[in-house]
Amino acid sequence: MALLSSPPSHFPTLSPPNSLSKTHFTLKSTFPLSLRGKRHFPLLSTRVSDNGSGVVVVEEDEKKEEAAPVVESEQKVESSEGSVETNGSPAVAAGAPVEVVVGKYENPKWVGGTWDLKQFQKGGTTDWDAVIDAEVKRRKWLEDNPESSNNDFPVVFDTSIVPWWAWVKRFHLPEAELLNGRAAMVGFFMAYFVDSLTGVGLVDQMGNFFCKTLLFVAVAGVLLIRKNEDIDNLKKLIDETTFYDKQWQATWQDENSTNSKKDF
Amino acid sequence: MAASIALKTFTGLRQSSPETTVQSHRPTTLSYRPLRISAGKFSPKVTGRNLRVAVIGGGPAGGAAAETLAKGGIETFLIERKMDNCKPCGGAIPLCMVGEFDLPLDIIDRRVTKMKMISPSNVAVDIGRTLKPHEYIGMVRREILDDYLRTRASDSGAKVINGLFLKMDKPVAKTAPYVIHYTSYDGKSGVAGKRESLEVDAIIGADGANSRVAKQIGAGDYEYAIAFQERIKIPDDKMTYYEDLAEMYVGDDVSPDFYGWVFPKCDHVAVGTGTVTHKGDIKKFQLATRLRAKDKILGGKIIRVEAHPIPEHPRPKRLSDRVALVGDAAGYVTKCSGEGIYFAAKSGRMCAEAIVEGSENGKRMVDEADLRKYLEKWDKAYWPTYKVLDILQKVFYRSNPAREAFVEMCADEYVQKMTFDSYLYKKVAPGNPLEDIKLAVNTIGSLVRANALRREMDKISV
Repeated sequence: MALLSSPPSHFPTLSPPNSLSKTHFTLKSTFPLSLRGKRHFPLLSTRVSDNGSGVVVVEEDEKKEEAAPVVESEQKVESSEGSVETNGSPAVAAGAPVEVVVGKYENPKWVGGTWDLKQFQKGGTTDWDAVIDAEVKRRKWLEDNPESSNNDFPVVFDTSIVPWWAWVKRFHLPEAELLNGRAAMVGFFMAYFVDSLTGVGLVDQMGNFFCKTLLFVAVAGVLLIRKNEDIDNLKKLIDETTFYDKQWQATWQDENSTNSKKDF
Repeated sequence: MAASIALKTFTGLRQSSPETTVQSHRPTTLSYRPLRISAGKFSPKVTGRNLRVAVIGGGPAGGAAAETLAKGGIETFLIERKMDNCKPCGGAIPLCMVGEFDLPLDIIDRRVTKMKMISPSNVAVDIGRTLKPHEYIGMVRREILDDYLRTRASDSGAKVINGLFLKMDKPVAKTAPYVIHYTSYDGKSGVAGKRESLEVDAIIGADGANSRVAKQIGAGDYEYAIAFQERIKIPDDKMTYYEDLAEMYVGDDVSPDFYGWVFPKCDHVAVGTGTVTHKGDIKKFQLATRLRAKDKILGGKIIRVEAHPIPEHPRPKRLSDRVALVGDAAGYVTKCSGEGIYFAAKSGRMCAEAIVEGSENGKRMVDEADLRKYLEKWDKAYWPTYKVLDILQKVFYRSNPAREAFVEMCADEYVQKMTFDSYLYKKVAPGNPLEDIKLAVNTIGSLVRANALRREMDKISV
C-alpha cells in the first residue's frame, strides 16, 4: 500500500534536478481537509422554482428519511475507502464528525437513467419546459455534489429527446425579441439622426453604400456584443484561434534570426 | 545564411559533385538504400570514420532514433540514465505503431477495444462499436516497451550507455565536434558514477519533458500539464469490467482543462487526471476522479503514485545547429488526448532518417539544413492532426456544457468511426461530406442545448 509519504521519494527519480520541473506537492498537509471539504450540505431549500417546488419538498423528506441508512452505508464505504485513500491518517476518513452525508441524486421522475416522459404529461402532451427544468436541477445538483458513475444504473439521458421547437420557444425567442428590439431602437434613431443632418430620407439612405455598411455594422454589433464583457471575449477568441499556430511556427522564425525567442 | 543558401542551390546539383572519391561511393549507396541521398553540397566528407551521433534519452524517441541511425551506418551512442525506469505514462499506443515499428505482440499487455466517456452529469456513452475485429488500442508498460526498443537499437549496432547527461560543449568551429559530458554508471564506479566525456558530430535530444539538451541549446520553455496518476489494484471481479475497456471522465470537478481516466494496465488500473491551469489543485482533482469511479474501483489498493509533466505545445526552438529535439523534449504531445508515445517514436525515427540522408549513411558531415528537413517533414505530416486536436480541445474542454455536448456527440456512430480512424492510423480521415454537414449541425445543436441548460442553471444557483 503506498502511503502518500512515499511520493517525495519517487519524485526526485522521476525528474532530474532541473529548474523546469515544477512538481511541488505541498498539499499533503491539506489532504484531510480536502476530504472533509468535499461533503457539503445540500441546499435543497433554495432550489425552488414554480413547477418544481412540490418535487423539492418530496426530495427533502426523502433525504431526511434516508439520512440514517445512508450514513451507515457511507461509513461502510468510508472504511473500505480508507484502504483506497491511505493517507496516513485513517482516523480522519473513518471517524470525521463533520461528515454530512449527501445521498445520490434521486427523483421519482428520474427512472432508469433518464427522465420518464410519462410523468411530465400536461393536458395530454409532454410538458417539455418541465423536462428542461428537471434536467437543469439535476445537472446543478451533480455539479455541486459529484457522484460516482455506476454501471448498474447507467445514465442514458440525451438532450436531443426534447424537440427543437421547445428549445426555440424557450431560449431562442426571448433573446431574439431582445436583440431585435435593440436593433430596431438603434436603427430608428440612427435613421432619424442621419436624416436630420443630411436631409436624406430612409429609402434614399438604404441606397447609399456607406449607410449600408453602417447598417451591417449595427446588426453585427447587436448580434455579437450582448454584454460589455463580450468585447474582451471576442478579442481573446481571435487570439486563441491563432495562438497554437504561432507556437508551432516559432522554430521557423529562428531560421532568419540569430537570437532565440523565449517568449512562450 | 550559408545554411539556407545550401538549401536552395544544392538540389539538382548532387550528380555534378566534383569529388571523384564520392562518385565511387554513390553506386553502392544508391543500390541498397531506398532513400534519396541528397547531402548538402558544401558539407565536407568525414574522413577515416563514420559520422558520430549521440542520442540523449532512451525512451521511445531515443530508442527509435538510435535504431534508425545505427541501421543507417552511423556510429550511434544512446545515453540513458535509468535502464529500468518505469516512466509514469498512460501507456496507450495506436494500432499503426505496432505495424510501423514492428512491435512484437507480447509487449502489449492489453488490447482496449471499448471506451466509455462519462460526462459531468454522469451520462455514459460507450464508444468502440465501429472498430473492426483486428483494431485495438494497445496498452503497454513503458519499462517493457522502452527496453525492447533500446535492445533493438543495440542489436543494430548502437552503443547503449547507462549515464546521465550533464552538459555539452558547443563546437569551436563549423565542423568541429560537440563534446558531451555525462556521468557514467557502469557498475564499477559505484552509485555516484564516473564523469566522462564523448565527442560527437550531432546530438538528438530525446530526454523527455524536462529535457536538459533543450535547456543547453536555449530551446525555450513550453506550457505543460501535470498528469497525476495512481495505480490501483482492484478485486478480480471489478477487473473483468476493465478487461478491454478504458474510461474517460470529463467535468470541472475532475479537471478544468483535461480529463480524468481509468486505464487498465497489466493487472491493475491506473486512475489519474491532469491539468495545465490549476496545477495546485491536482490532488483535489484526483480525489474527484476517484470519487467518480468509486463504485468501479471499490476495494482497491493504491500500489503506486506517480506524476509527470506533459508538454502542451512544441518548444519555440526545436533545433539548433547540429542538435535536434524529438519526442516530449520537443513538445510533440497532442492536445485533447495527451498522446505522446507514437509521436515520440516517429519523430525520433524521422530525425534519424534526416541525419542518415543528410550524411549519406555517415560519410558526410551534417549541418543544420539537413536537420531542418526533419522539422519540415514532421510539420507537414502531422500539423493537421495537431491542429484538429487543438480545435477539439478548445471547443469541447471549455466548460461543463461543452463537455456534456462532447459526450452526447460521442454517441454518434459517424463520430466514433472518424475518431478511431484518425487515432489508430494517425491520418486525419477525410470522411463523407454529407455526414460531415450532419455532424456539424448536430454538434452545434448539442452545444446550444447544453449552454442553454447552463444559463438556466446559473439562474437558479444561489
